[in-house]
Amino acid sequence: MSVHEPPHSAYRPAPGFGMRRLPSWRWLAELVWRLEHAFERAKASNRPEEDTRVRIFVIMAVFAVVFGCLALRASWSAVFAPSAVAGSAASPHGLARADLVDRDGRLLAANITHYGLYIDPAEVWDRRSAFDQIRRALPRVSDRKLRRVLWGERRLVVLNGLTPAERRAVHALALGGVSFEPEDKRVYPLGGSGAHVIGRTDNTGSKGLSGAEKQFDAEIREAGARGAAYPISIDLRVQGVLENELARAAEEAGAKGAAGIVADVQTGEVLGMASWPADQSLNRAAAAHYEMGSVFKSITVAAGIDTGQADMNTLFDASQALVIGNRRIKDFHAQNRIMTLEEVYIHSSNIGTSQLALDLGPERMRDYFTRFGLLDRWALAATPRRPREWSNTTLASLSFGYGIMVTPAHMAQAMGAMVNGGRLIPLTLRRGGDPKAQPRQVISEETSVAMLDLMRRNVVRGSGTRADAPGLRVGGKTGSANKLVGGRYDASHAIGTFAGVFPTDGPLNARRYSVLILIDEPSSYPKTGGFVAAPAVGRIADRIAPFVGVERRGDRWATADGQKIPQADDPLKATQ
Amino acid sequence: MNPLRRLFSWKVRGVRWVEIIGVVLVAAMVFSVYLAKTAAAREGARIDQLEREIAENAQRVRLLKAEAAQLEQPGRLEALSRAAGLGPVDVRRQADGRPLETLKPTGDQPHAVVLAAPTPPTPAETEVEAPPSATPADTKAEAPQ
Repeated sequence: MSVHEPPHSAYRPAPGFGMRRLPSWRWLAELVWRLEHAFERAKASNRPEEDTRVRIFVIMAVFAVVFGCLALRASWSAVFAPSAVAGSAASPHGLARADLVDRDGRLLAANITHYGLYIDPAEVWDRRSAFDQIRRALPRVSDRKLRRVLWGERRLVVLNGLTPAERRAVHALALGGVSFEPEDKRVYPLGGSGAHVIGRTDNTGSKGLSGAEKQFDAEIREAGARGAAYPISIDLRVQGVLENELARAAEEAGAKGAAGIVADVQTGEVLGMASWPADQSLNRAAAAHYEMGSVFKSITVAAGIDTGQADMNTLFDASQALVIGNRRIKDFHAQNRIMTLEEVYIHSSNIGTSQLALDLGPERMRDYFTRFGLLDRWALAATPRRPREWSNTTLASLSFGYGIMVTPAHMAQAMGAMVNGGRLIPLTLRRGGDPKAQPRQVISEETSVAMLDLMRRNVVRGSGTRADAPGLRVGGKTGSANKLVGGRYDASHAIGTFAGVFPTDGPLNARRYSVLILIDEPSSYPKTGGFVAAPAVGRIADRIAPFVGVERRGDRWATADGQKIPQADDPLKATQ
Repeated sequence: MNPLRRLFSWKVRGVRWVEIIGVVLVAAMVFSVYLAKTAAAREGARIDQLEREIAENAQRVRLLKAEAAQLEQPGRLEALSRAAGLGPVDVRRQADGRPLETLKPTGDQPHAVVLAAPTPPTPAETEVEAPPSATPADTKAEAPQ
């Protein structure tokens, strides 16, 4: 007989069986009732011992299983589980925000523990003495605030952001009621250097507000949780040279402002970005718009070569002004003759590039401006001010850099595409380049080779000779423009630009760097890019070449130490 | 009665040996757990202390790094360099290791091995230095043409 068998003589129905209930409830109630009365049933069937043993055995088995599981689990935890130190977080060196470092690990920004100074007036014995002592140890504390807290009624903060040295000084006073609470504070040890690129966070250092701090906010916090530093593309040495030379060029020219960018054209990495004056919040390199003038001739010429509309031997009649409607387009350095495309480029002929733009037509001009990213905004550059219509007179203006306002970052990016084999790679502050970026082929490799050659020729015997650096094979294009003041282009408010690249020789995928310098409203004379911006590009190339690993070497135009090599087929004279 | 049952029934002063052994074992286990927990607590405190020290040292290292970065600002270093009269090296005075090949002695004419110190010249062979008061003309006369 089983213990589960229904009793016979001793069977009594479970209480409540007669009531109407759900089948499941009835089953449960019946089971409980049977268990409760199992001993009575066993006794009634003359097998009480067996029944008791079975019940004891069942209970022991249950306990054995439970304790066995617990023992196994404890053993597994002791032997196999990873050892975690009590009280440790995800990373023992985790931070709210990672250190920001340059591409080689040099510190740009860090979270340093500062201290909040708290005073509980109830524990201060001599308030007057405490006031005097704290004022002496901490001169920057506000008298009014300190007095209010000392003669207040409850514990309050007096000053946030005490440095460890300041904390030590106050702590050494051994005053009662004075306590400190640690707080994270974002520190920028370079001061104003790289400030526009690095950006800023809010007071607590928890949220990026500008620059790389804002662009990579989530990634910086994630790296901080891991206890790792977050590198950006900037090379602090290049940044330092760029800032120094930019400031020097701007001061020599008596300029209102200046901007500079150094970038790796193969990866789009920004190695240096500077805006002068450094103490202004405006980043002229990425957020200010300019009509840059003749540097746009590179775009027009590249479009002409790429479409097959022109080649090096194509002739342009620059013997007289070009008339479009009631507008006369003249050359700043008028040659008054028929010129080849190369001559148009190195003499910076407005007439020649206007003719080329008219030949290309509005569709192709707009297409190439779009291809070079000059009509769009992106992470590092503000929205450009685009032409509203693409008439003939607008095309002529666009061909030599008027009628469109872009940021220096736009032009640096377009320059990169022109000299890296024709791939438009977005400029980025991310070290190693943007992995999500899809480079677009905007001009052919042959066109890119031709542009490199033209740029080098422009520096050797054109308007950019002051940008040359011995042995570094610098190329580039000058740009000079007047600013629109009161509805008229005013020659006294000029912009001088030089968009350079070095080295211009070697394979298309060789390491190559673009350097762009823009001087805003120089007051010295001449105000053209060849005078105010080009020398700075040459000096920057000269100084950063060892940092970026560009060796000095001769080419067909000059020796490694900068000596000019006479050219048999050189009918041109340099124009400054 | 089988031996196992006899073992379990073995009593001393009315108490089963098995129970005595069990109580002793339990007491030993309790004591060992107490010892282990005490040791673990001591180690835990030590670990906490070391962690605090590591955190403080890490904080100091970060502070020192920030101070070093502040001192190594490119602008500051350049200003100091200019003040010290330093500047970029002229390109004509720059060289890498490659020209060293041309300066290497050729294999045809190895340097003579010096086996003994050269004999000092006799006083008669020693070149007479010009006195400090010698005129430039005197000195010039001695210079090789």
